[in-house]
Amino acid sequence: MPCERKPMRYGHSEGHTEVCFDDTGRFIVTCGNDGDVRIWESLDDDDPKFITVGEKAYSLALKNGKLVTASSNNTVQIHTFPDGDPDGILTRFTTNATHVTFNSIGSRVAAGSSDFMVKVVEVSDSSQQKTLRGHEAPVLSVTFDPKDDFLASASCDGSVVVWNIEEQTQVISWPLLQKSNDVTNAKSLCRLAWQPGMGKFLAVPVETKVHLYERGSWDHVSTLSDDLLTQPINVVSWSPCGRFLAAGSVGGLLTVWDVNSKLCVERQKHEKGFTVCSLAWHPSGSQIAYTDTEGCLGLLDGLGTSTQVAAKKPAKDYDDLFDDDDDRLMDEGLSDTKSPAKKAVGWDDDDDDFLVPATGRVKNRGAFLDDENSLDTGSLKLGQDKFGDNNDDAGSSVAPAAPPVAPLRPVYEGPMPTPPQKAFQPGSSPAHLTHRFMMWNFVGIVRGYNDEQDNAIDVEFHDTAVHHAMHLTNSLGHTMADLSQEGVLLACPSTEELASKLQCLHFSSWDTNKEWMVDLPKGEDARALCLGQGWAAVATSTLMIRLFSIGGVQRELFSLPGPVVCMAGHGEQLLVVYHRATGFDGEQALGVQLLQFSRKKRQLISGEPLPLSQKSYLSWLGFTAEGTPCYVDSNGMVRMLNRSLGNTWTPVCNTRETCKSKSDHYWVVGVHENPQQLRCIPCKGSRYPPTLPRPAVAILPFKLPLCQTTTEKGQMEEQFWRSVLFHNHYSFLSSSGYEIDEDAQNLSQKEQQELLMKMFALSCKLEREFRCVELAEMMTQNVVTLAIRYASRSRRMALAQRLSEIALEKSNQMQEEEQEEPEYSSTRRTSSGQPRVTNILDNMMSSKKSAQLSSSGGKPSKSPVLKPLAPKPKTKVPCAESVFKQGSISRCLCAFRPKTGFQLWLEENRKSILADNPDLEETDVIKEAMGRFRTLSTEERLLSNQLKLFIFKNDFRSTDLNKTDK
Amino acid sequence: MVSFVTARPAPQAAGTVCSAVPVGRKFLNTHTKKQTDMDPSEVEFLAEKEMVKIIPNFSLDKVFLIGGDLGPFNPGLPIDVPVWLALNLKQRQKCRIIPPEWMDVEKLEEMRDLERKEDMFTPVPSPYYMELTKLLLNHASDNIPKADEIRTLVKDIWDTRIAKLRLSADSFISQQEAYAKLDNLTLMEINTIRAFLLDTLNCMYKLRSNVQ
Repeated sequence: MPCERKPMRYGHSEGHTEVCFDDTGRFIVTCGNDGDVRIWESLDDDDPKFITVGEKAYSLALKNGKLVTASSNNTVQIHTFPDGDPDGILTRFTTNATHVTFNSIGSRVAAGSSDFMVKVVEVSDSSQQKTLRGHEAPVLSVTFDPKDDFLASASCDGSVVVWNIEEQTQVISWPLLQKSNDVTNAKSLCRLAWQPGMGKFLAVPVETKVHLYERGSWDHVSTLSDDLLTQPINVVSWSPCGRFLAAGSVGGLLTVWDVNSKLCVERQKHEKGFTVCSLAWHPSGSQIAYTDTEGCLGLLDGLGTSTQVAAKKPAKDYDDLFDDDDDRLMDEGLSDTKSPAKKAVGWDDDDDDFLVPATGRVKNRGAFLDDENSLDTGSLKLGQDKFGDNNDDAGSSVAPAAPPVAPLRPVYEGPMPTPPQKAFQPGSSPAHLTHRFMMWNFVGIVRGYNDEQDNAIDVEFHDTAVHHAMHLTNSLGHTMADLSQEGVLLACPSTEELASKLQCLHFSSWDTNKEWMVDLPKGEDARALCLGQGWAAVATSTLMIRLFSIGGVQRELFSLPGPVVCMAGHGEQLLVVYHRATGFDGEQALGVQLLQFSRKKRQLISGEPLPLSQKSYLSWLGFTAEGTPCYVDSNGMVRMLNRSLGNTWTPVCNTRETCKSKSDHYWVVGVHENPQQLRCIPCKGSRYPPTLPRPAVAILPFKLPLCQTTTEKGQMEEQFWRSVLFHNHYSFLSSSGYEIDEDAQNLSQKEQQELLMKMFALSCKLEREFRCVELAEMMTQNVVTLAIRYASRSRRMALAQRLSEIALEKSNQMQEEEQEEPEYSSTRRTSSGQPRVTNILDNMMSSKKSAQLSSSGGKPSKSPVLKPLAPKPKTKVPCAESVFKQGSISRCLCAFRPKTGFQLWLEENRKSILADNPDLEETDVIKEAMGRFRTLSTEERLLSNQLKLFIFKNDFRSTDLNKTDK
Repeated sequence: MVSFVTARPAPQAAGTVCSAVPVGRKFLNTHTKKQTDMDPSEVEFLAEKEMVKIIPNFSLDKVFLIGGDLGPFNPGLPIDVPVWLALNLKQRQKCRIIPPEWMDVEKLEEMRDLERKEDMFTPVPSPYYMELTKLLLNHASDNIPKADEIRTLVKDIWDTRIAKLRLSADSFISQQEAYAKLDNLTLMEINTIRAFLLDTLNCMYKLRSNVQ
């Protein structure tokens, strides 16, 4: 039902205004704060006639050539219309009247006043008054029952009361409204309206909804509402036909409902959003005049309401046919809706009750419409009257506008599919915001502004050494961005004329062209993008991922199994999350792929399901600064890839646990493994931070959700496993050819061993020897010897015995490894022929470590080789020997400690080692050390077990070294 | 790369006057005219030791200073540094300063109202609130939302407190009390009134003893 909203025009000075049409609909009559009643021939009437009624006019009513106004001198007076001659005073109050209204035939006037009273006065004889007392606050509005039996009034005391006029008693009272002390303070004017004709319904605006009460039973039969209505409704008004109800709200929203179907058929917004304080239907039902609290007058024209009945006669026959069909279907449908599965469809119980009695009359209505058709009257009024008479029927019968198909839908009670979440850029706020973050990652911030004045993009770097801040005008309308140390990648969706574009500002380029742009093929839209080191990736609407080099060369492309959700890049890794399937009952079914574009391109995770918390969606995806994939779901759970456990995802933090209130969230911007930091922005009452004031980054600690973390045992276990998890990246990095910070790695290993030792001591104290052995199995060989000493000192010889077995096992293992190592490494080296380009990611290491590493190039470490050595293919024996030598040197710090274990407990094994080990010098040293150590340890054994503390607090390695020195 | 100032610039007077000690000493020998009270710049110097949060836009490992270790500095990550360093970095556009929590219009308004309502001195948000406001607003007003309002509010609080201080000094003298207890006074406030008050008391003592 499209209608035209005419521009607002000045009507009165600022303040409350009211509007009505005269009986013929020729004039619009308004009154306002300036005390004038203006009579407009049309909205464009520049010289309206006016009648001054007082200093201020609060309300007016017009019927049968009589104009009744409530003015500031506490009177309700009559003027003739349209001449405007004073025609006496109807009634007086002790203070001003707030609302006046005529009854349907114009014989009586009801007026509500701020002195809590409602008066009903005969127009012909003002001495015949009836006073309705009972309100406890100023009366907001009054309305007559069209049959003149009742009167309804609303008051600031919060009640809506129906009065019996003759008996001057309250029939019913509903406490519906918010209380206030005066009309000016009331949230809503609460203009009631009784359905014209039979007066079946009384419409009461309650907050943002309109309640309909049935005449007689006074039951609340239904509610009209609209999602767009967020502010209280001020005024409601029935169309002359009684089928439509118009409402004007505080925020300036005008809504028209079809009462039969309860559907909103028209929505209009006040052009300036001022509060609508009065509205009136044209007698033909095709226009609505309304006024606002700023004194302006507006008009909605072309409302196809009652005109449907009168004006579209030729089409009527067909309409009726369909109506009948629909109604009959409805009958059948109703029996369906009576089934227990009612809830599945959008009809509530009220509707059903409402519709059931109507079904019997459907035919009547059809007949009535036919009658009207055959009458073919040109008179609108007649049609209206007739319609009005049959209003009871019409009002309750099913209108063509109703969606009668709804209850017919087969009822499905199973799990409902979840709408798949839209593609997004991790670290961006939603695209509909005018000021938003397009990207916030550990390189910098990209902000997008899109308001009337400006459409621009600001790029800012956390580290100004990377690049200076940039400001671009966003003429292409980019909506997606990513930022790396090398460039900024932007993309815009396609428009009608222009293709979806990918723009890269490659600021790290050493030539003069710092920018390139690529058009995606027609019909292909960029959905997600990311930057890695030296490459860029775009996921498009055609389920494809296109790779580009950072300089703009097109590289590989591949298809995704489903629509992309988001992507993240780091170094040579690309992480893609996509919709694997349809999720049900609030769950998303996401899949994840992890690809590596290094020399040996491969897929590390090939489309496995991405675990999310229940009923949550993905909210952030990325890599830690060290390169471990990581993501956050909408429940605030942060999960990280555990590469050492077959690429499973481990929850490492729940950001919601630290939130103070339920609506607070943390917006994750980065994850660091060393030091363990979750960088995020606390958002009060929202999921996203505003761009201004500039949000500050907070740091959250990680915590694995292990059991009983309040106990000492639980705490240590949590620390241990967290330490293990967060140091997985060392082995990954070294295996993929990056240089690593060895010191940090050693430190972390030391930390883990220390924790194990502490747990061991704790278990010892609790007499859990089996547990001790379990822990010892996780220890390195050196620490096992310490554990043995600890056990023997605390007189647990059985435990010490078992531990020594473990120590033996471990040393054997180590020797095997040592011997295998040369072959392994040599084959490895031959296979990896060409020298590797060392790739240093900025965050991964400090410069001094790399210098140290390169200086001690030949020194092998546990991890596979970083620097390629010259392959020596044929001289296998010397090669093995040399490598072994190196290996033994590398272990010179730790090698003797396992042997102290042997010498203490198993003499024979040393012999075998001696036999195996041709390097006599070293073993001699070790032998000596062992002897000394044995004497020392026996001495120590005599000491009390106060040494426990000593063991915990000291660096294991250094204590051992000291002892051997003695 | 960022090069740090190795020596922190001290106010001119700080070289000759030991800034922390004289507070006590001055009470003893106020009659010696030479020993004036602390200069506002000296108080400001002390205030510069307060910590403030900044967001650096450079990356630097830990720096080891006599006063303690600072850092490591990670771009984009808030860190606590002394005010003198924050201002120095700010002047070189190496950081953004995050104003202290109390430097907020609402909180200050509350504080001002309380200060006006109470007869006694109310606790101040920071022992150096005046100095910090002045320093931060002069050098980093672009990082502080509603800087002008904050300036006015802090000035209001200051004025109220100084007025109270004058009133209490007045009643102290007129009632010829031997001592007065003043809580919650900041160093800056004490120093604004000390010279004048002590000199006055000395003068009055002389005059009175001459009369007798």
